Parts: sequence; C-alpha cells; structure tokens
Amino acid sequence: MIYTIVYGFTIGAILYFISIGLSLTFGTMRVINFAHTLTYTMGVYALITLVALFKGYFALVATLSIIVVIPISYVIERFIIRRLYGESLDYTFIATFAISLIGVDAIKWIWGVNPYPMSDPIGKYLMFWGLSLPIYRILIVMIAILLFLALNSFFKKTIVGKIVVAALEDKDGVRCLGINVDKYFSIVFVLGSALAALGGVLYAPISSIHPYMGLSILLLSFAVVIVGGMGNLNGTFLSAFSLGMVMAITARYWSQGAETMVFIVMAIVLIFRPIDI
Amino acid sequence: MLEIKNLDVAYGHAKALHDISLNIETGQTAFLIGRNGAGKTTLLKTIIGLLKPLKGSITYQGNEITGLSPEEHYLKGLRYVAQEKKVFSNLTVRENIEIAAYASGEPVDMALDKITSIYPKLKDFLRTKAGQLSGGQRQILLVGRALVGEPKLLLIDEPTQGLAAIVIEEIVSILSGLRDKVSAVIVEQNLAMVNRLADRIYILKEGKVAREIVERSEISDTRGLEEYL
Amino acid sequence: MNKAPASHANHLNANPMKEHGFIDFLVITGGFLLITPILSVHRVTDFMIFCIFVMSFDLMYGYMGRLSFGHLLFLGTGAYGSGLFIRYISGNPLLAILAGIAVAGLLGMLLGLIIVRTTGACFALINLAFNHIGFFLVLSPLRQITRGEDGFGVSASTLGFLNFSSRPIMFGFVLFCLLLVFYLLKRLTSSPFGIMLRSIKEDETRVRFLGYNTFLYKWLNFALAGSLAGLAGTLTALNYNYVNPNAMDVHSNVGVVFASLIGGAGTLYGALVGGVVYMVISNFLPIYIHRWEMFLGFSLLIITFRFRKGVWGYILSLWESGIKKRLLRRPTEEVANR
Repeated sequence: MIYTIVYGFTIGAILYFISIGLSLTFGTMRVINFAHTLTYTMGVYALITLVALFKGYFALVATLSIIVVIPISYVIERFIIRRLYGESLDYTFIATFAISLIGVDAIKWIWGVNPYPMSDPIGKYLMFWGLSLPIYRILIVMIAILLFLALNSFFKKTIVGKIVVAALEDKDGVRCLGINVDKYFSIVFVLGSALAALGGVLYAPISSIHPYMGLSILLLSFAVVIVGGMGNLNGTFLSAFSLGMVMAITARYWSQGAETMVFIVMAIVLIFRPIDI
Repeated sequence: MLEIKNLDVAYGHAKALHDISLNIETGQTAFLIGRNGAGKTTLLKTIIGLLKPLKGSITYQGNEITGLSPEEHYLKGLRYVAQEKKVFSNLTVRENIEIAAYASGEPVDMALDKITSIYPKLKDFLRTKAGQLSGGQRQILLVGRALVGEPKLLLIDEPTQGLAAIVIEEIVSILSGLRDKVSAVIVEQNLAMVNRLADRIYILKEGKVAREIVERSEISDTRGLEEYL
Repeated sequence: MNKAPASHANHLNANPMKEHGFIDFLVITGGFLLITPILSVHRVTDFMIFCIFVMSFDLMYGYMGRLSFGHLLFLGTGAYGSGLFIRYISGNPLLAILAGIAVAGLLGMLLGLIIVRTTGACFALINLAFNHIGFFLVLSPLRQITRGEDGFGVSASTLGFLNFSSRPIMFGFVLFCLLLVFYLLKRLTSSPFGIMLRSIKEDETRVRFLGYNTFLYKWLNFALAGSLAGLAGTLTALNYNYVNPNAMDVHSNVGVVFASLIGGAGTLYGALVGGVVYMVISNFLPIYIHRWEMFLGFSLLIITFRFRKGVWGYILSLWESGIKKRLLRRPTEEVANR
C-alpha cells in the first residue's frame, strides 16, 4: 500500500510540473496549448542525447536539457501562440496540434521511433518500516513540493508575479494601468514549458521513452487542469496529486483502467462545473 | 484638450457609435449621459484604446491618439476606470496600488500617501484583499489607482452605480477636489452629481450625440435632462 | 421572343432544392465514379464512408460551431452495435445497420444531455474523455463480448441482391447511403432547424432571449450527428467484415477535424471535398513523402492562418467574387436587349 502511495505521489508530482504551464497558458492567454507537452518530449530526448555525451552527472544533464528547450518554446510562443490570442478555440486547438504533429515527427526523424531504455539514476532505496522505497521517486516528490513553495512566493511576493495574478483576473485593467501584459504572458509561457521539460526529464528514467510520450501525458494534464481550475495554482497542485493517487490506486486493482479513471473524474467535474472558454 | 471628430465604432457588423464629435477643454469635467445602450461605455473604451474605431479621429493635447493601445494611452496621462468595479481581488489594496505604480515609475509609498490624503479611510484597508471591499470602497480604490503617476485625463464609467448615498457623497467630494487639477469625462446616470460637477454635458442617444450642453443654466435644469435617461 | 422572359422568371421561382437536387446527384455520383478507376472500388468505398463521417462531424462543427475531439466514439459504437447484432442476433444486414444507428443515436441522446450544456474547450475535451472511456470499455471490461483488442469478424447474410461481400454492391450501397445523408442534411440545413442551428452558432444568448429552447436544438443536433456517425460505423463494419477497437481510436479524431477544415466547415460539399482530400493524403502521401505527418502539420498551420474557410471555401469565394459575376452577366444582357 505504501508503494502505491509513493507511486501515486510521484505521478502526481510529474503531472504537477506539466500542468502548471498548461494551466497558466489557459488562464492567461485563453489558449489551449496542445503542443505543451512537446517541450516535455523534447526535454527527454535532449536528456537522452546529453546523457550519452556526459556519462553520469544526471543533475547537470537534466538542467542542460531543460535549458536547451527554452529557446524552442520561445520560438513557438513568438510565432504561433502569440497569433492565437483571442482566437476561437478550434483554431488554437488545431494550430497547436499542428505544432505537436510537426515536433513529434521531427523527433521521430532524428531519433527514430523505438523506445529508449533508461534507468533510475540514483538506484538506491530507502529502508522505511521494512519496505524499500526508491529514493529517486521521493526526490521527485520533494522537488514538486519545493516548486510549489517557490511558485507561491513568486506569485505572492514578486511584482511580476502579482502582475500575472492581476492579469489572470482582469487583463484589460492591467493594460489600462500601462503594463504590457503580453510580454509577461510570454515569460509565463516559457516558464511553463521549462517546467514541463523538467517533468519530462525527471520522469524519463522511470517511464518509457518514445516520441508519442507527450501525447499520452498531455491528455492527463488537461484533466488535471480542468479538475484544478484554470489559472488556479493551488488547485492545480491539489488536483495533480489527487489524480496521481487516483491513477495509482486504480492501477493496483485494475491495471489498464488508470488513465480512464482520470477521464471519468474529469467528465464528472465538467458536468458539475462546466468551464467557459 | 480632447477632441473627437466623426467617430464611428462598431462591434462586428453592429454599429454602436455614429459620427461622434465632442470637445473637452483642459481642467474641465464633462459628463456623458444617456440611456443604457446609448454607447457611452463604447465611447470611453474607444478613447482609451480597448476598441478601435472604424473611422474618425481622437486628438489629445494636439496629438492624434486614435487607435493607440491602452498602455500607450496610460503613458500620455489618460486613465480609465471601468464600469464593473473590477479590482484585483486576490491582491491587497496596497498591492493594487503597487501595480498601478509600476508603469508610472512613481514610488509606491508616494502613491499611497497621495491616495490616503485624498481618502484617509483607505489607510485601514491597505492589507485587506481587494475582493473583500464593499462596492463603494472598491470604487474609491479604482479612482485611487487611476490617480497614481501623473494623470491628466480621467475616463470614469458610472462611478456611483449601485452605491449608497453616503458613499456617493464621498466620491463626489473626491472628484470635486480634483476638479481643476485633472480633466475628466464621466459617464453617469446620477443627475445630482452631474449638476454639481459638470462643466459640460454630452447627451448620447442611440450612438449619436443628441445634445451638447455648455451653459451652466442648462446644466442645472435637472428635469429637462431626465427625459434623456 | 416573348417566351424568353417567362422561362427566365420561371427559373427564378423554381424550387432551388429540386433544381439542384438532381445536379448534386450527378456531381457526387459522377465524382466518385470518376476516381474509382484511378484508385480501386474498395478504396473509394472507404473514402465515401469517411465522407459520411465527416458530414456527421461537420453537422456539429460547421453548423453548430462545436468542435468535438471524440466523435469517433459514435462511429465505433455504430460499428460495434451492428457487428455484435450480426454476431449474436441476426445476420440481416439492414437490421444490423438500423441497430448500429440506433445504438449510436441512443448514446448520443444520453451523452448529449450532459455534453451539450458545455461549449468550447469543455465540449472538445469532454467528448475526448468519453471517447477514451468508450475505447477502454471495448478493450477491457467488455472483453468477453467484444473480443477486446483482437476484435471479431462480421459476416452479414445476403439479403436479396444485397450481398455485401461483393465489392461493387458494397460500393453502390455506400454511395446510396452517402447520397441519402447528403440529401437529408441539405434539406435539414436549409430548413428552420438548420437556420436555428446557425443562429445558435452565431449568438446563442440572443436566440435564447428570443424565447427558443436552444438546449433542445443542440441536443437534437448532437444526437443526429451521433446517429450519422453510427451509420458510418456500421458501413465500416460491413465493408471490412471486421470490427476492432481501432474503430474508436481517439487519435484518429485528428483526421476528421483536418478533413473538415480542409474542406471548409459548414458546407456539405466542403465536407465531401475535405473527406476525399484527407483520405488521399493519408493513404498516398506516406508513400511519396516520408515525413508526411510533418507535412500535414505545416499544411494545417497554413490553413488556420491563411485559408480559414478551407480549400472548398476558398474556391467558393473565388467563384462568388470573380467567375460568377462574369457568367451571370450574359442572361441579363439578353433580357435587356430584347
């Protein structure tokens, strides 16, 4: 049972990393970024390449992979996302989907379709009440908690954070106070993409790596954002971990039903609390 | 100071303003009155740049400002206070002012002093989340936000709507105190307020300027104005 | 001399439905028959089934303005519905088709009660969720009945001349269904119901303020779109003599969205054009262009930023502005010169 909880929290943490960016982009730009997890996938593949170069030093390689992904996400934001501000949903859906199509195919082209194996970089276990828990997974959860606290301070204490919080509620109001909100939204977008890459990089050693990995986790992230509320940072944190637990517990009794259960929860939430974009 | 010529504004295919022309001198307070849907809010939103006109021009202090963005208007000294009394509810009153001070370059403490001198009661609420304020307090906060930096022209949309008489009185006295320092264009239904503050009245009807009133005697004629509401 | 204006006037007063109905029939039948020798009977049958599916999708997307990312749920339901009917109840193909449509329609009515209340992103994703759930259901819990991943074979019995294992007959029957659906939708969209849908798409609040029960119209439309998708599903099952979970694969939804866009949302011919174009692209492009998905992605981007109305819409607008004016000038000149 403890294993299930740890696994649940691990998945929850990864979902949290990815969903933050998605939630913020939803909330600020009203754009559903179907290509969000492209940075997730790209981070992973950058990781694989760099790991081969720098054998060992996982932390360094992980950080580098995330940094590599940032300029790509900036380009996507600058040339495509920005043009989608205020557009109707279907076009943003389709345009961002097109980006992910291009990106995934590019990855297939460069790295091939076959899954890459990768193993737990720490490989050590913590002995806890007679159970051996992988330290790596616990580390992931701790990073998630740290991130949550960091983001909270960022949005509560820094002026940029406060501007984003204000703009999430009343974009015109902020504009009329002379602040170019779009610039800050771009920063938020890139930040969100970097976090998605972080999620990818951390999850890679304990999951299967293939070009379509972004797509499967994207749908789950949508569910997290919907359940947690768009632009609601605390909500995203809670829903990510809750849904992570849902998946872990479902997987224990019904191995294939984990993802479906998340969608059932999402559907139920949508029925009682429809969102309005 | 503010000159609008032959302005046409539309929402998609529906034209909201037809050939609007009006004129406000520096230091004046002008009022826009008219029924709901006459186009008053549309006009303010176009002046501040949230809407783009189909044709026509808006000139401010001799410079053409038609079609500029709200951010650019802010730098020129125009300030817009919208109708719905929307504050940044998740931020405190102090933080609301912080954001207002950000683009103006004015130090936050100076901005706070300025505002609390106009409305001392606000000092008690600095740490309260703006979302918890009453309607009247929010309106005052919004006016306060607009006054940060060096405002030259205030565009205020229905400041007294839904407020109690005492609060309205407070707002009127605040605006009264600002009269010669800042120009203003105010949308209002409250004719008593119009009577006390107006130098000029524009009556809008179905997207057109129905009447322009500049004579003091006509402004005091509250009965006559009522028929336009 | 006196006859010319009279017949001209008659032409103006004639029922446009009747006039165009026959032309549509010729154009569509001709079009599909034309491409058959180039490809194959079996391929074109595939195309036509997909076109029916695109038309059902466009009913929601083009006419009601709601993008669903899980419409395949209904196609799959139709396929399984009819497949299971043939397998366990009766081999009668027509009854099976009706069963498939009925099940899909019923599902549409049930889910519609919940789904139709939503819009935009919510609508798209909740459809996606249910599609995913459906896929999972046929894969796993209902494995006993649906044979899970492996699927099961479907062989309908022959009914009179309707022997569905014969390719030409299948072709003919699918063409017949396509024409039927086309005609049905054409009448529907130019009827008050269709006008109501389009008004709802443009400004639902206004329609509601006028006193109409917009929920009812949206719900009916959703159920209808589901039923027609179910029809496409039943035809798929009969065409391949086989049903498996791929009929409900979530990822395949991109195809129909793409087709609808290429063709131009909101026009029936657009749906057909889009359907055929997408089928051609996805079937033949991979042979010539190795990186066809990338190509698809770039084309999608170009379409969303440049050709909003889709290829067909673009052609239509060219027609409207240029060619039509020149063509129509002659009859009026004739009348004037009389």
